[in-house]
Amino acid sequence: LTIDGISPSKVVRPESIEELARALSRETGAIVPIGAGTQTSFGNPLRRADCAVDLTGLSRITEYVPADLTIHVEAGVTLERLEHTLLENNQFLPLDPWNGPAATVGGIAAANAQGPFRAAGTIRDWIIGMKVVEVDGRISKAGGRVVKNVTGYDLQKLYTGSLGTLAVIAEISLKLRAKFGRTATVVARFSDNEAAAECVAAIRKSPLQPVSCEWIGPENEVWLRFGEDSRAVDWQLKNVPAVADWVVSEGSDEAAAWERLRNRYNAFGPLVMRVVGLPTAVREIVEEYRPAAWIAHALNGIVLMQLSSPENIRSIRGKYRAVIEKAPVELRREIPTFGLNNSEYELMKQMKDAFDPEGRLNPGRHVDGERS
Amino acid sequence: VKKEVISKLRQILAAPCVVDDETELLVYECDGLPLFKNKPDVVVFPRTVDEVAQVVRIANEYRVPFLPRGAGTGLSGGALAIEGGIVIELQRMNRILSIDVENRIAVVQPGVVNLHISQAAAPHGLYYAPDPSSQMSCSIGGNVAENSGGPHCLKYGMTTNHILAIEAVTAKGEIIRLGNPAGEPIGMDLLGVIVGSEGTFAIVTEITVRLLPKPQAVKTLLAAFHSVEECSQTVSDVIAAGIVPSALEFVDAKTIEAVEASVYKAGYPQDAVAALLIEVDGFRDGLEETSNAIVEICRRNRSYDIRVAKDDEERAKLWLGRKGAFGAMGRLAPDMITMDAVIPRTRLPEVLVAIDRMSERYGLDVANVFHAGDGNLHPLILFDSRYPDQVDKIFGMSEEIMKLCVDVGGSLSGEHGIGYEKKDFMGLVFTEADLDTMMRVKRVFNPDGLLNPSKIFPSRRACTEVGKHTTTSTAEIGKRVEEVLLGVGGPADAQSRRPQAYRQGPAGGPDAQEKPHGKAPR
Repeated sequence: LTIDGISPSKVVRPESIEELARALSRETGAIVPIGAGTQTSFGNPLRRADCAVDLTGLSRITEYVPADLTIHVEAGVTLERLEHTLLENNQFLPLDPWNGPAATVGGIAAANAQGPFRAAGTIRDWIIGMKVVEVDGRISKAGGRVVKNVTGYDLQKLYTGSLGTLAVIAEISLKLRAKFGRTATVVARFSDNEAAAECVAAIRKSPLQPVSCEWIGPENEVWLRFGEDSRAVDWQLKNVPAVADWVVSEGSDEAAAWERLRNRYNAFGPLVMRVVGLPTAVREIVEEYRPAAWIAHALNGIVLMQLSSPENIRSIRGKYRAVIEKAPVELRREIPTFGLNNSEYELMKQMKDAFDPEGRLNPGRHVDGERS
Repeated sequence: VKKEVISKLRQILAAPCVVDDETELLVYECDGLPLFKNKPDVVVFPRTVDEVAQVVRIANEYRVPFLPRGAGTGLSGGALAIEGGIVIELQRMNRILSIDVENRIAVVQPGVVNLHISQAAAPHGLYYAPDPSSQMSCSIGGNVAENSGGPHCLKYGMTTNHILAIEAVTAKGEIIRLGNPAGEPIGMDLLGVIVGSEGTFAIVTEITVRLLPKPQAVKTLLAAFHSVEECSQTVSDVIAAGIVPSALEFVDAKTIEAVEASVYKAGYPQDAVAALLIEVDGFRDGLEETSNAIVEICRRNRSYDIRVAKDDEERAKLWLGRKGAFGAMGRLAPDMITMDAVIPRTRLPEVLVAIDRMSERYGLDVANVFHAGDGNLHPLILFDSRYPDQVDKIFGMSEEIMKLCVDVGGSLSGEHGIGYEKKDFMGLVFTEADLDTMMRVKRVFNPDGLLNPSKIFPSRRACTEVGKHTTTSTAEIGKRVEEVLLGVGGPADAQSRRPQAYRQGPAGGPDAQEKPHGKAPR
């Protein structure tokens, strides 16, 4: 196991939350929590590693109450297993992170990993509670086990996306939804940016409510996925803007199409930025920075772009918020992943100090690696 | 608070915007939870973020406690100045700054009334989804502080799912901006943890909210049952059928009695033991079939009276009873406490039976009107504050209800917050370690504890305020609010700055001003 060129001297694999707590309380060096290892190159570079904590042993589904639409899983449960379990009761979560079904739920939360379902929300919207183990081995929880709850601070939101640098996520409670009655995907290819942008604008102004809306370049394809009651899907299919010849896919063809898109994204590199703007700014972002390839969550104003050189990063960040999705470690050593402003940096730094004053949890990966 | 602090405040704010008259301060001695009271030393009415920041810096300089306040409709004592100090009243910051139709966002100030956002967005076919029952009077800033819910969060989520970005003043008086219009956390989700922090992390001064397109069609129906079990089973069956209703509300016999005797009369069947108000919305195509499927489930569970609203007027009428239920309780008793708790929805029948038994044991009537779809209970305990023993009983009963809900896997609050009311119950759901971690996060935002002190975390000291028998009726508070806001000895231009809909008075819904009431002696 090597992360950012560093190999931890030992690996522990706890099989329960209590074992995880004991392992952390004994450890005095730098701790690197790791799930399926699908996102180890996201974030600022790791600086030290004494003990890797392999969380795949925390693999129990601790409770699943279909009638309550809640499930409680340990961090090492994979998305694939979660999906299969839910399907037995015709339930699901609209999560399709690029790193795929082998990723663990804990890892998806820690990295706030996303995919084309972005238009329907992110894992943050489904997490109702979390149990974590802190750096000194203490177990603490936030949120609860019910679908609606405002008891205490929403610390589970803070842990989501913190890359395991505040505490180690041990168990996650999720609310669920009924599986879409039907899904269908339409794809159209356009001659140029302008035509694709016009199509996306027409969708934005329409009553359509796609759960995915991706503008893919340089091919200038627009992908829409509808998920609803079957008749509502029908209506939306009939009312897609008549600006192109849409190719409809359903069932296994549809699944295969999205799998191809996932593979396409995973082939992006070596430098990929997530540029965050407004839905109406997507075209401008694409035209101004001329990425070699891009996938835009067009209804969210988020563009994932493959850049041919890091020169543009500074100018992008002058105008938009932008996170480095992927980059070689040498580049990530030079350019901070998140590009935080001063007040964000100060608050996050203080938050890190409040949880991990000695900086032993995933040293360097998050705010503590933002500024040298 | 020293005279010096007040004169400093007067240096930065115009004279009518600093209130320290003892009588006027009475208005601010409590929020929507009149069970607990304490007068602040001074109330300020800033108009800009800079004024808020300056007030906060003065408070820091003199080590005076301070807290934000919106419409004062909160039901857990979040805006209670329990340690006195400065109340920062944000109702003057009540402008909708922009509505971006194409990007479906609105930028608003914290004092904007929740409903006014939807009204302003309506001409563009958009609306703001979270709809607490107090939406005609509660402010969006208060919603952010409390992470407010409402009937429609069953489908659309809570406030936290609709807040994209904020500007805020920190506890130290620094102005910060967090979040972005894409709702994409950059680094840690600080915004996510500020929403719902009940005014203990920061004072929010500008809010970017997500707007949603209005659904093409809505179907609303009311189903009456002869038993609570059949009614609860219907809730479970609707969810199990994979239907995602936009609202699924439970109304019991006591509530129907109150509603039908009040101005909110909605024609609810008066012989029902329990009824469900069910709403589905979305695309027109398929909605009829979904509605029919629900009717079928109700029938299977022996609903004896099912009314499907034929048009908007009938829909509005069905909702009038539900939204007016809190206000209508004045028909049954002079005072009421609105409880708030969450349970896994499968545990509804047993919990309702247990609450019923408790009601008999304590000799206090309880009405149940709540968000059944997500297990969010609202037992309304009816009492008469003229009888001190009844007030005492409320504390015992509310504690028992909390324990009951926690025992079945639930939680202390689904949407009203912990505030001052429930802080001593926090130990029921959280360990010392959990609370310690939350306290460490609080110290990052609020290192000196001056911002909204004595909230959320349990106190070990005895609460001398608890059990005070001087409960002011909500109607009386409403009257005092009017006096001050309409300029009777208060800030002179309050009335002219208030939006039209507000001045005309609310058309329904439980807010402090309209609870039919007023019999309790002083």
